[in-house]
Amino acid sequence: MKHLRIAALAASLALAAPFSAVQATELNVVMFGMPYTNGLAKLAGDFEAQTGIKANIDVIGQDVFENRITLSFTGGTGDIDVVHTPVIQVQRWIKAGWLQPMTDLVSKDTTSDILAGPLGAYDVNGDQWALPFFAGVGLMSYREDLLKKAGAGVPQTWEEMLDVAAKIKTDDQAAIALRAVPGQGFNMFIFPMVMRAYGGSFFKDYVNGDLTPAINSPENVQALKVYTKLINDYGPAGAGNFNFAEVNAAAKNGQIAFAVEGTGIISQIVDPAKSKYADVTGIALPPGGPAGRSPAIGVHGMGIPASAKNAEASAKFIEWAVSAETVAKIAMSESFPDFTTSSVAENPDVVAKYAAIHPDFLKTRVAALDLAIGHYRPLIPEWPTLGLAIGESVNAAINGLMTAEEALEQAEADMRDILGQ
Amino acid sequence: MTYHAKTRRGATYELQRGYRRMMIPALLAVGIFAFVPLAGMFGLAFSDYHLIRGTNWDFGFKNFAKMLSDRRLMNSIYVMAALSFFGVAAQVIIGTAIAVGLQKITGKWRVGRVLFLLPYAVPHVAVALIWLSLFTPTLSPINAFFALFDVTIPAFLTSQNGAIFAIVVADTWTNFPFAMLIIMAALQGISPDLEEAAAIDGATRIKTFIFITLPLLVPALLMVTLFRFIDSLKHFPMIFVMTKGGPGRSSQATNYYAYIQTFGNENVAYGAAIAVMLFLMAALISYYVAKLNQRVTT
Repeated sequence: MKHLRIAALAASLALAAPFSAVQATELNVVMFGMPYTNGLAKLAGDFEAQTGIKANIDVIGQDVFENRITLSFTGGTGDIDVVHTPVIQVQRWIKAGWLQPMTDLVSKDTTSDILAGPLGAYDVNGDQWALPFFAGVGLMSYREDLLKKAGAGVPQTWEEMLDVAAKIKTDDQAAIALRAVPGQGFNMFIFPMVMRAYGGSFFKDYVNGDLTPAINSPENVQALKVYTKLINDYGPAGAGNFNFAEVNAAAKNGQIAFAVEGTGIISQIVDPAKSKYADVTGIALPPGGPAGRSPAIGVHGMGIPASAKNAEASAKFIEWAVSAETVAKIAMSESFPDFTTSSVAENPDVVAKYAAIHPDFLKTRVAALDLAIGHYRPLIPEWPTLGLAIGESVNAAINGLMTAEEALEQAEADMRDILGQ
Repeated sequence: MTYHAKTRRGATYELQRGYRRMMIPALLAVGIFAFVPLAGMFGLAFSDYHLIRGTNWDFGFKNFAKMLSDRRLMNSIYVMAALSFFGVAAQVIIGTAIAVGLQKITGKWRVGRVLFLLPYAVPHVAVALIWLSLFTPTLSPINAFFALFDVTIPAFLTSQNGAIFAIVVADTWTNFPFAMLIIMAALQGISPDLEEAAAIDGATRIKTFIFITLPLLVPALLMVTLFRFIDSLKHFPMIFVMTKGGPGRSSQATNYYAYIQTFGNENVAYGAAIAVMLFLMAALISYYVAKLNQRVTT
C-alpha cells in the first residue's frame, strides 16, 4: 500500500512537472476549418521559431466547434488560449462573459494595418474583443455562355433575375441555386440579401435601437416569395435542401447558371483549376432591388477566452497571425482572397495570383465590401438563436410546408419569444 | 463436523469480501461517469440555467410545465416515433431475412458474411454523408442513372415524409447487421434435428420456418428489437448531417430538439428537461420489454 502511494505521488509529480513548465510556452488555438485557418495551422512552426512559444493549432469542423467551445467556456476550463471568433457571435460571447478584451494587449502598429470596417465590428463598449482575419462578402457568379444563348444580360435586381432565370431554365438546365438549409450561417447568410433589396429588415429600427421584430413585413413576405420561386421553379431538383457545398458542386458541374454565394465559394467556381466552366463564368455584384443592393458580409477573427491563463502570449499569437507577412503567406498557399490586413493587397505576388484566377475578382470583392453594411445580420447577443429560428421558417416556406405569410408570422412569434417580448 | 462447517463459511465469507472489494473500482467508475452526469442533468432540468438570458438558480417545475404546451416538442415526438418504428422494423426484418439466408450458405462462401457486416463498421457521420449525396438529386448516381431513361426520381429531403424515409434508409443500412448478428447466433442455437423432424413429417420449408424456427427465435427477436429501439431514441448524426432538422422543423426528433434548445437557443435547463423526459421514457419502455422478454423465455 505504501509503495502504491509513493508510486502514485511520483506519477502525479511526473505528470505535473512538465505541465507547469510548459504552460508559459505553449498555446492552444481552436479554430474551425476554412482556407485561412488551414493555412495558419501549417505555419505553426514559424510562430515557434520567432517567439519560442509552441502553438497547437487545432482546426475542427464548424458544427463541432460550437459544441467544443460552449463546453469549454461554460466550464471555464481554460484549455483554450486563442479562439476563432466570428463577428456574429462576439456580442453573445461578451454577454456570456466568455471573452476578455485585448485593447491594451495589441499594438497600434498591428491594428492600423487592418481594414477599419471589420476591425470596428469587434469594438464593443469601447473595447477591442478580437482582431479580424477574414471578411467574406456575397458575390454572384454567372455563366456567360448560357446568358448569351438566352439573349439576356447580367441581372441587376432580383426582379430581373426572375426573368432571366425563366429564360434559362429547361428540363436539363437549372438557372440558379441558393442556400436553403436552415441555419444562421446557411440560408440566413444568403436570404437577407433579398430581404434588404426589397427594403425588409429584421427589426423596426435597428440603427436607433428599436428591436421590435419586423420580420413579418410585406417587404419580407415579397422577398421570401421571390427566394422560394427562384429555388423551386428555377433551381435544380432537391434544391430545397441545398447548402453551400451542394451549390458549389452544382455550379462546378454546370448544372446552374447563377450562384449567389460568399467569396469563398465564388472564388472556387471561377477558378480554372477547380471548375471546368471557369473560363465561361463571370463575376458580378449580387442582385439588388427597390431598396438598393446589400451584399452579405461575414467577418471572422480571433479572440482571447476569459479563461485563458496567459493573455499576453495569446495576444502575441493573434498579432503574428494577422501580420502582413503571415497573411500574405496564407493568401499564396491557400485559396484566400478574403484577408483584412490592408497592406497584403499591395503585395505583388498576391495581386498577380488572384488576377490570374479571374481578372474581376479582387475588384468586385472591394466593390461589394463597400456596399455591405456591418449589421447585415444584427449584431446582438440573441442573433444566433434568432437566425436559427427564422432560417427554419424560411426553409419551411421553400419546401411548401407553409406559405410565405405563415412562415414569417411564425418567425415573428419565435423572435418575440426569444427576445422575451 | 461443526468445525468444518465453520471454516467453510469463513472461507466463503472471506472470498465474498474479496469479490466485493474487487467491485469497488467498477462501482466508482459507474458512479462517476454515469451517476454524476445524470444527477447533474436532473438538477439542470429543474433550474432556469440559460447561457445568455442570465440565471437566477430558481428551481421548480417550470420547464416541465412548458413541455405540455410546446408544439415543437409534440412534433419532435411524432418524428422520433416514426423514425424508431419504421427504422427498427426494417432493421429487424431485413436482418432476420439475411441471417436466415446466410445460414444456408456453407463452405468457403461463408466468408461472404463479412460483407454484410461492413455497413455496421462505418461511422454514422460517414454513413449520413454517403446517403446525403445519394439523396441529393444533383449529386446522386441513382438520379443520374434513371435520368438516362427519362425517369425523374423525386427529391426526398424536401418533404417531411421524404426526409423521414431518407433517414430511416440510412439508419437501416448501417444498423441491420446488428440484428443479423444476433439472429444468426440464435439460429445456431436451434437444433437441426427439429427441422429434420418437421421435414420427415412432410412440412414445407416455409411451414418449418413459420412454425418451428420463428417461435424459437422470439426471445432473440425481442432482445434485438429492444436494443435497437432504445438506440433509435438517440437519433442524431443522420438528422444533423442529412437534413439539419429540415425541411422547416419537420425532421427534428426529440433528441435533436433537445440539442437545438441547449446549443441553439441557449436554454440549457429546458434542453435538460427534455433529455430527462427522454431518459424516463426509455427507462420505462426498457423495463416493460425486459419483463416481457423474461415471460417469453421462461
